[in-house]
Amino acid sequence: MLIPRSLRSSRVLEALSGYLFILPAAVVLGMFGLFPLLFNVYISLFNWRIRRSAFVGLGNYNEIFGGLLPFLCLLLCLLLAMVGLRLLAREKPSGLRGLGLFFEFLALAALGVALPLVAARGDRDLLNAFRVTVWYTLGTVPIQLVLGFALAAAIHGKFKGREAFRVVMLLPYIVPAVATAAVFERLFSLQSESWANQVLACFGLRPLQWLREYKGVFQLIFGFGPAGKPGGLLAYWSSWAAGPSLSLTTIMIYNVWVYVGYYALIFANGLAAIPLQYYEVAALDGASPLTVLRKVTLPLVSPSTYFLAVLGVIGTFKSFNSIYVLRDPAAGGASDPMSVSIFFQFFRGGRFGYAAAQAMVLLAMVVGLTLWQRRVMEKQVYYG
Amino acid sequence: MDRARKRRLAPRYIVLSAAAAICLLPFVFMISNSLKTYAETVTRVSPDPFSPSFWPSLPQWSNFAEVWRGDELGRYFLNSLIISLVTLCGTLTTSCLAAYAFAKLRFPGREAVFSVFLLTFMVPETVTLIPNFLVVSALGWTDRLAGLTLPFLASAFYIFLLRQFFKQVPDSLVESARLDGASNLRILVSIVVPLSRAAIFTVAFLDIAFSWNSLQWPLVVVQTPRWRPITVGLTRLISEAGAQMQLRMAGALIAIAPVVLVYIVAQRQIVETVSGSGLKE
Repeated sequence: MLIPRSLRSSRVLEALSGYLFILPAAVVLGMFGLFPLLFNVYISLFNWRIRRSAFVGLGNYNEIFGGLLPFLCLLLCLLLAMVGLRLLAREKPSGLRGLGLFFEFLALAALGVALPLVAARGDRDLLNAFRVTVWYTLGTVPIQLVLGFALAAAIHGKFKGREAFRVVMLLPYIVPAVATAAVFERLFSLQSESWANQVLACFGLRPLQWLREYKGVFQLIFGFGPAGKPGGLLAYWSSWAAGPSLSLTTIMIYNVWVYVGYYALIFANGLAAIPLQYYEVAALDGASPLTVLRKVTLPLVSPSTYFLAVLGVIGTFKSFNSIYVLRDPAAGGASDPMSVSIFFQFFRGGRFGYAAAQAMVLLAMVVGLTLWQRRVMEKQVYYG
Repeated sequence: MDRARKRRLAPRYIVLSAAAAICLLPFVFMISNSLKTYAETVTRVSPDPFSPSFWPSLPQWSNFAEVWRGDELGRYFLNSLIISLVTLCGTLTTSCLAAYAFAKLRFPGREAVFSVFLLTFMVPETVTLIPNFLVVSALGWTDRLAGLTLPFLASAFYIFLLRQFFKQVPDSLVESARLDGASNLRILVSIVVPLSRAAIFTVAFLDIAFSWNSLQWPLVVVQTPRWRPITVGLTRLISEAGAQMQLRMAGALIAIAPVVLVYIVAQRQIVETVSGSGLKE
C-alpha cells in the first residue's frame, strides 16, 4: 500500500477516537436498551414471582395462548393473510387477485375461530387488552389524520395571527401528559357536576359515567351487547360488537385533543413543500377542487401521512402515562391496552416471568406491524 | 385588507379559533378550579368559561401553598428538577459525542453500530421495564438518583437527530481545523456544537419535557418520597381518596409550569423544529 505512514496512523487514530466517542452512549444503550431484550427472553422462560424459581420453558407462552392449537390457528391466519396480500399486490393475471381476496377471506375466518379459542383457553385478560389496543388505535389514528389534515389546510399559508395559532395548537402536545390527563380525569368524571355532565345537562341529557363506564359505546347507543353462552364464538364476537367502552372512548377524546394540533403542524409542513406549479397546472386543466385534492394534494403529502400513521400506531402500543392517570380501577380494565395491562401484571401481580412473556408478545406485534406498515405504505407513498 | 380577502379568510379564522378554544379549554378549567374552594368545585360548575360561575368568586391562592407544602409537591418538584438536569447533562454529552463520531469520523462498522443504536429506539418501554428493574435493584440503585437517571443518559433518537445536523457542518471546516492540529474533542466543542446550537437547544427542550413527564420507570424504582418525582406525586394526589379537585388542579398547574414557561420563552424555535422534523419521544 502506498499510503504514507503519517496518514495511516491518522486513520487508525481517527477510528480509535470514533470508538471512544461512541463508547459512553454504547455502554448506556447496551446496558439498558439491548441487554434487556435478551434478559427479558430469559425471564420469560421462568416461573419468576419477584424471585426466580422453576424453569418452565415455554410454559408462560403456553398460558397466554392456551396451548398449541390456538397458537397454530393464529399462525395459520397470519400466513393466509400474508399470502393473500402477496397475491393482491400482483397486477396480472387478474385471476390471482381473486385468489388473493379468497385467501384474505380465509384468514379472517381463521381469525374468527382463533381469537375466541385463545379467549376460552388462554389469557382472557390479555386478549381483552388486545381488543382495547385495537379499538384505541382505530379510534384515534384515523380521526387524528383526518382532523389534523383539515386543520392543516386552515393554518397553511400566510395570514395574520398564524404564529399564535400554531403556538396554541402545539400546546397540548408539549406539556406533560400526566398533568393534562389529571385535568381530563376531572372534566369527564362521573359526578353530575363534572364539566362533561354539565354540558350534557345543557342539552337536557342525563349524566354519564364516562371514565368508569365499562359498557361499549355501541351497546350504550344501539343497545346490542354481550350475548350467547360464555366461552362460545358468539359471546366473544358480540363483545367486539359492543364497541370500545365509554371509558376508553373518553381516553380517545383526550388522545385526539393531545395530538391533533401536532398532526396539523406536520401536515401543514408537508403542504408548504408542495410546489405551486402543480396547482397552476391543475387549474389550467380545469380540475375540480376534489380532483386536485385527490390527485395532487393527498399524494404529495403522503410522506407526512405515512410518518404520522406509523408514529400513531406505535404510539398507541406504547401508551402508558395518560392511561395510567385516566383509567378508573372500577371500570374493570375496560380501558387498559396491552402496555398497561402488562405493567399491572408485573407491578401489582408480581408475576415477572409471565409479564415478560406477555411483553415479548407485545414486542412481536409492534415489530410485525412496523414491518408490515413499511411494506404496504412504501408502495403508496410518493416521495417527490 | 380588501373586503373579498376578508371574506375568504373568515372560515379559516372560525375553524382555527374553534380549535384554539378547544386546545385551551382544559388549561382554563385547570386554572379556574385550582383557585376555587372545595365547596365551589361542586357548586360553581358552569361548563362555559364566559359565565362567571365557571370561575371562583374569590381566588384561593392558598391552594397552591397547601399542595406545595402539605402534599410535599414542592419537594417532588425539586426532585424532578434535579433528575431532569442530571439526565439532560448526561444525554447531551453522550449524544453529542456519538453523533459527532457517526457524522464526521470514519471507522469500521460505523453504519452497523448506528443501526443497532436505532433498534433500541423502536422497543417499547414495557419490554425493557422488567429486566431493567431487576438490574437496577441488583445494583442497589432503587430509590436513588442513579437508578432514576442512568437508563436515560443516552438516547438513540437524539443521536439520530444531532447526527443529521452535524452532517451539515462542512467537512472542509473540520479538515482545516484538523490540519491546524485541533483534536476531535476540540473540533466538536468549538466548531460543530456552536454551529448546531438550534438543534442542540431543541434536543435539550425535548429531553427536559421527556424526563419531566416520565412516569412508568419512577413508579417502579422509587418507593419512598426521597427521590419521588412530581409525576408520581401528582398521580398519588389523584388516586388518594379524598384529594380534592382544587388541590389536584393546583398540583397539575405546578407540574406543567416549568415546561410551559420554557415553551413560552422559546415558542418560535420549538414550534419550528417540532413541526419541521416532527418528533418527540
